[in-house]
Amino acid sequence: MPFYKDKYDAIVIGGALAGMSCAMKLASEGKDVLILERHNLPGGMATSFVRNGMEMEATLHEMMSLGPTEDPLYIREYLDEMKVAIDWLRVPEAYNLYSPKDDIDIELHAGRRPDGTWICADEIEEQYPGTKGEVNRLLELCKNVYESVLFLNDHSISKAQMLLQHEPLVKTAGYSAKEVIDKTFDLPLAVKKILSAYWIYVGQPLSTLPFTIYAFLMADYMIGGSYVARGFSHEMSVAMAEKCEELGVQFEYGQNVDKILVKDGKVYGVRTSRGDEIHTDYIASAPYPNTVYGKMIEPQSEVPAQARKYANAMPMSVTNFSVVLLLDQKPEDLNIHDYSVFSSDIPFDTDVFWKEGRQLGGWDYLTTICLNYANPDCVKEGMTSLSITFLPLPESFMDVKADDYFAVKNKVAKEMIDRVSDHLGVNLLDHIVEIEIETPVTMSHYTSDYRGGIYGYQQSMDNSVVARLEDIEKEFYIKGLVGCASHQLVGDGMACNINNGRIAARTILTWMKEAEK
Amino acid sequence: MKVNGFLKDVTGASRVTKARRSLIQHGDPNNIYRDPIRETAKELHPEKTDVMITKIEEVSPTAKKYTLKAINGDILPPFKAGQYCSLDLKIGDTITTRPYSICSAPFQARSADPFFELTIRQGKPNEGFVSNWLYDNAKEGDTFTAHLPFGEFCFEPLRDSKNVVALAGGSGITPFYSMAKEIENGTLDIQLTILYGSVSTKDIILEKQLKAIQSDKVKFINVISGEEDYEGEKGFLTKDIIQKYSAEDCSYFICGPLPMYHFVRTQLEEMKVPQRRIRMEIFGAPRDITKADGWPEGFNPAPVKLTVLRGIQEDVIEANPLEPLTVALERAGIPNNSRCRSGACGFCRCKLLSGNVFVPEEGDGRRWADKKYSYYHACSTYPLSDCKIKIIIK
Repeated sequence: MPFYKDKYDAIVIGGALAGMSCAMKLASEGKDVLILERHNLPGGMATSFVRNGMEMEATLHEMMSLGPTEDPLYIREYLDEMKVAIDWLRVPEAYNLYSPKDDIDIELHAGRRPDGTWICADEIEEQYPGTKGEVNRLLELCKNVYESVLFLNDHSISKAQMLLQHEPLVKTAGYSAKEVIDKTFDLPLAVKKILSAYWIYVGQPLSTLPFTIYAFLMADYMIGGSYVARGFSHEMSVAMAEKCEELGVQFEYGQNVDKILVKDGKVYGVRTSRGDEIHTDYIASAPYPNTVYGKMIEPQSEVPAQARKYANAMPMSVTNFSVVLLLDQKPEDLNIHDYSVFSSDIPFDTDVFWKEGRQLGGWDYLTTICLNYANPDCVKEGMTSLSITFLPLPESFMDVKADDYFAVKNKVAKEMIDRVSDHLGVNLLDHIVEIEIETPVTMSHYTSDYRGGIYGYQQSMDNSVVARLEDIEKEFYIKGLVGCASHQLVGDGMACNINNGRIAARTILTWMKEAEK
Repeated sequence: MKVNGFLKDVTGASRVTKARRSLIQHGDPNNIYRDPIRETAKELHPEKTDVMITKIEEVSPTAKKYTLKAINGDILPPFKAGQYCSLDLKIGDTITTRPYSICSAPFQARSADPFFELTIRQGKPNEGFVSNWLYDNAKEGDTFTAHLPFGEFCFEPLRDSKNVVALAGGSGITPFYSMAKEIENGTLDIQLTILYGSVSTKDIILEKQLKAIQSDKVKFINVISGEEDYEGEKGFLTKDIIQKYSAEDCSYFICGPLPMYHFVRTQLEEMKVPQRRIRMEIFGAPRDITKADGWPEGFNPAPVKLTVLRGIQEDVIEANPLEPLTVALERAGIPNNSRCRSGACGFCRCKLLSGNVFVPEEGDGRRWADKKYSYYHACSTYPLSDCKIKIIIK
């Protein structure tokens, strides 16, 4: 008896958030969908692991675009619509920024007051008097842009309406975050730095980060706050996988797709490493275009030169280096009092941090997350869950040889732990119960993503969602094949990938309708 | 889908659209795919490694050391002393896997003439069925598919004390031999004191080999419980003996059979050794699951029906409630992704679609959400009724 049907309406390669979101949507429209996931777990990077009976979040993970139950944002609405139930826990603060060289040490919270002013503007005002008005104005602009982006995600409108109703978006769309903030807002340098801390969630310095993305990120986090799942990211991933199967999706783990089969410019199936050849007319692919066009399409003669140009031209965004720790004392006893701390050991400068991402270690901008403060039950009483993360560029790790790997990752991890220990005034090395060090190689091992990339392609001025949107339909180089991960339109992040999956599903549904005609 | 053309003529936005078109137009039209990070990941974690036995040596009256080399163009990956290798085996109609600690040193697997070694002990007649089979049957020239490296039972310089006390029992000595060899080679910088508990001197494995590499960095002490006239440390691995050989702030690495682990653990607790200074490795399911905490009292372990879903294929096989699901699958010749066989690694994760099962708490390495949504590790799950599971297609 065979393991697969003769043909599926669609095959999704990769059972991570985008893939599951895509499959869910297709299945809810009555399509017969197969997900092939190479790992034995769903979720891709949105996962966790267990060491000696203790579960650890894989790395720094926060879900945005949820908002509180009574005031849901679009991802909560989508998950509700799909009836995916997850125990979300609200993260206490937006973030802390600790940059001693700038005399910056501040904690900001998400939320808007009934009069429309922002809580974080007051928090900044306390330390930088006279800035409240401008900070409120900046966040208001971010909110306007954010609302326009969300509206346009689901609606199609005329150019005239666009100019009339979405002026803030239109006006700022062609400029970087740095340009807009510097030219439009009269703020002290320190406050601009404080309001740039989230850059790492896109991995792009403010000078090349489109304002649209900056605004989306700021507004989303500052309106809705962020969330983690009670059962770690794995809970979210399993909840989505369960929903897929409930909707009739065939979800197969441990199946690596080797080849995408193409004939006359059109996909007709896939072949797995096991040797199964499975047929379909539509494929949503989590593998990067570099991998798809570089080695998965069979025969390679079916890859148009334009597709190669496309994949080869776009610079890769960041990958991940995380040190995940379980410590043997309560957070307070280790002088850890906050959930999320961005820290800089040099004067805060996103251009410099970004350049440091090309080197192996010596990273001055770290993100430290103490999960206890969002999820008190994440560890046994009297212990602390702490992760330290930097997002370097893949080139930092390209020359690391297998034989040097353990030594290299330990050296870099030690440096990161030492830096955080210095900030805390507590030597964390004396408290480690469990440690896992995740590198670009780890990302590659578990997901096989191109060069261990976690954020797709750089969302720079010349390749952000704003720049991508206009040409999206011209970039389907092989009929029936659509990308479905952070290398696609909306870019990186868990929420964005759920959205990338929805967009991939919408594309496939449109193609299916066209084919019926 | 109608893609919104709204940004077309708006100055700023059309500027970025043009910039992107120019970026892509300047892309290389050739296939320049290159992913060194993926290559490194594959070198570190090969899907499988085909290996051949090239040498067999007796290392005690009841244990043999097997030297294995990679064949068919496969390359042995780097590993850390203390990690294990899982062998795919076919014995009659049964397919199975077994985890064995690698007892050779990491540097040897990456030398000019790369190899690794496993030591396998002959078990008592009713136990260690596979080890016995290998002990009796494996010969030079035999080939296997191996999967390596796995496991977390390694010295971690950022976590562990450089003073390591190894508490070993039975074939649990093997990871420590790997560490000792690596220390001798100068590639592992720790002080290792091995306390090796055996019933009789005949049970001691790798004694000659370990004695040969004793140094100021590697100490090797036998602790014999069943020979009154033994001239040396006698008794079990009690806190008195452990204390005697412990420097200040040691990390304790325990590897041995389950009862020994329980005993030693109590001793370390009495010594008030902090949790972060204790590392452990246990292999295998409990010998008698009915003795596990929480096993339903008075349960009649009659055979049950196990429906196994792989893709859209359904097979119905028989399962014994006293054996984990993994064993039922193996007896039926259904390949199953087992590696650690102790409930920890999760390679054999499967979904329980219906039925009742038992999981001993000690072997429950599952994630919170897996418990919530009825996912199980087949190697540590016992069917209490007719069950239906979905497993990975192999």
